[in-house]
Amino acid sequence: MATLSINSIRKSFGAVEVLNNIDIQLEDGGFLVLLGPSGCGKSTLLSIIAGLETSSGGDIVIGDRNVNDVHPKDRNIAMVFQSYALYPTMSVRRNIGFGLEMRKVDAREREAAVDRAADLLQIGHLLDRKPGQLSGGQRQRVAMGRAIVRNPELFLFDEPLSNLDAKLRVEMRTEIKRLHDRLGTTTVYVTHDQVEALTLGTQVAVMKAGVIQQLADPETIYTKPANMFVAGFIGSPTMNFLRGTLEAGAGGLQLRHAGGTLAMPGLEQDASTHLGREVVAGIRPESLHGGEAAAALTGIVDVVEPTGPDTMVVVKVGEQLLTARLGPKHRPRPGETLRLGVDAASINLFDPETENRI
Amino acid sequence: MAQTRSRSRLLWDIVSYVVLIGLAIACIGPIVWTFLTSLKYEADIVTKTMHYIPPRITFDNYVKLWNQSGYPVLVINSLIVTSVTVLICLLTGTIAAYAFSRFQFRGRTQLMLGYLVVRMFPAVLMIIPLFIVMRQVGLLDSTFGLAVAYTSFLLPLFVWMLKGFFDAAPKELESAARIDGTTRIGAMFMVVIPIARNGLLATCVFVAIAAWNEFLFALMLTTSQGSRTWPVGLQLMVGEFQLPWGMLAAGGMISILPVIVLFAIVQRAMVAGLTAGAVKG
Repeated sequence: MATLSINSIRKSFGAVEVLNNIDIQLEDGGFLVLLGPSGCGKSTLLSIIAGLETSSGGDIVIGDRNVNDVHPKDRNIAMVFQSYALYPTMSVRRNIGFGLEMRKVDAREREAAVDRAADLLQIGHLLDRKPGQLSGGQRQRVAMGRAIVRNPELFLFDEPLSNLDAKLRVEMRTEIKRLHDRLGTTTVYVTHDQVEALTLGTQVAVMKAGVIQQLADPETIYTKPANMFVAGFIGSPTMNFLRGTLEAGAGGLQLRHAGGTLAMPGLEQDASTHLGREVVAGIRPESLHGGEAAAALTGIVDVVEPTGPDTMVVVKVGEQLLTARLGPKHRPRPGETLRLGVDAASINLFDPETENRI
Repeated sequence: MAQTRSRSRLLWDIVSYVVLIGLAIACIGPIVWTFLTSLKYEADIVTKTMHYIPPRITFDNYVKLWNQSGYPVLVINSLIVTSVTVLICLLTGTIAAYAFSRFQFRGRTQLMLGYLVVRMFPAVLMIIPLFIVMRQVGLLDSTFGLAVAYTSFLLPLFVWMLKGFFDAAPKELESAARIDGTTRIGAMFMVVIPIARNGLLATCVFVAIAAWNEFLFALMLTTSQGSRTWPVGLQLMVGEFQLPWGMLAAGGMISILPVIVLFAIVQRAMVAGLTAGAVKG
């Protein structure tokens, strides 16, 4: 186990800047998730940590060792790839033990370590098969077995669940969390799935175009997004953005929007500097509810989508469409007027010009 | 309706079989004819009336060829030249193909194109410069020199074919191996080559057959019996006043034997190698 410091890492391919001054400090035993859309540079950053790619500038420090010029094999890391990258010509046993074999660990000791890892992942019965004879979930377990058997200082996961079906993905997600709780190894995990990021990470770095948009714990990322990109990227359905002018009202700040006025009593954010200016209010779908509240919005029901536990209702407020996550018993009809209570304390206000949180 | 369809299918089947059998006869016919000729007495080969099936069978042609014409030396020379050619290609071509497949370096595309351009020139164009070079470095009339000459036009084929097989091996496997503790070259030998082994085998067989059957370079670059290969030796048996059909046929039969044996041994792996990546597995 070790800490990980990523200091001012840059990477460019010719004129194209892929990573721009990335700074992250990860505590010993921490679980960092790099989250972002395709092409945001998260996998490149992981490759640089692994030593598979060189950076154009900056330092990677694992523990107290600067590993910039250290070969991947000498960094004492283990990596699980999206495609699992199991050696197709070797048995599962040899796949798991390959890292130890390369480090010239005694055969008996190696066998014992492989058996321990296989027991932990419940793949003991598969040891003599070839990767081609395994299902996707089993391959995933073997890839994880190969990573844990060496007891490395750092685990790297590159979108390890994206090739699995939805049910297996949830199972393996729990498995990874359990494994991390048990082994406590410092981990860096790359994904574009926000649910994975929020459930697994102790720290989440949301990236866009090679720049970290926000680095924080999952709760902060969800409740206090640093900008409109993070706000829109995290959460499903995504956060509603309601444009309007910020005014001082009787009970605190209020938002005058095209469909009326939204009072915001109990707003945590101090936005008094933006009084009289245009702002964007970010409201999570679950912050809109069918009950009565001091803050409310009225709109016309556009679409109703029952999902089982929730009913998603798209409401037209003025010219803007907002999605509300209502209970399963709410079944408004399209076209009817609906009054929605708003949990004003959870509203986030953004500056429309900079798109940053005020 | 159904009857019409089955009738037209039957017709198609008949046409397909006729065409395929015709092609098979065109391919196998000359070999069978050569084999039958090799079993005939000289007097039964050139006759007024054609004897398809030998009236009398003799192995004299094989015995005479083996004992009197120095044919064993020719076959051994061919074996040496072929083996050395394959070995040179294997040692240098494998690493070159891997580099072309995995690394981005300055002049990569131009080099690859250069390899291809070599294949575009007719062999005759290359023979004279090659002859001069070989004479200057003292490799004229030697099996090693001939193998080097063969390498000059077979190595590009080897590299291009093998690069395709290396391209098909996922790059993540090498990354995994490098993290697991191998060096870059170690990852190539321990992970990539075992995956591409069928392709490597297929490529080697292609090069071996091309070297085994080559005639023009061997004719120009060898002058003595000590370094000649079988295609040249066989051709030189044709004299101004003699045409030993029986012995030529026997020589032909002996020389295709190694190729047939090679194919029989590696056929399965070769087909697997050639079709690798054609269908998503």
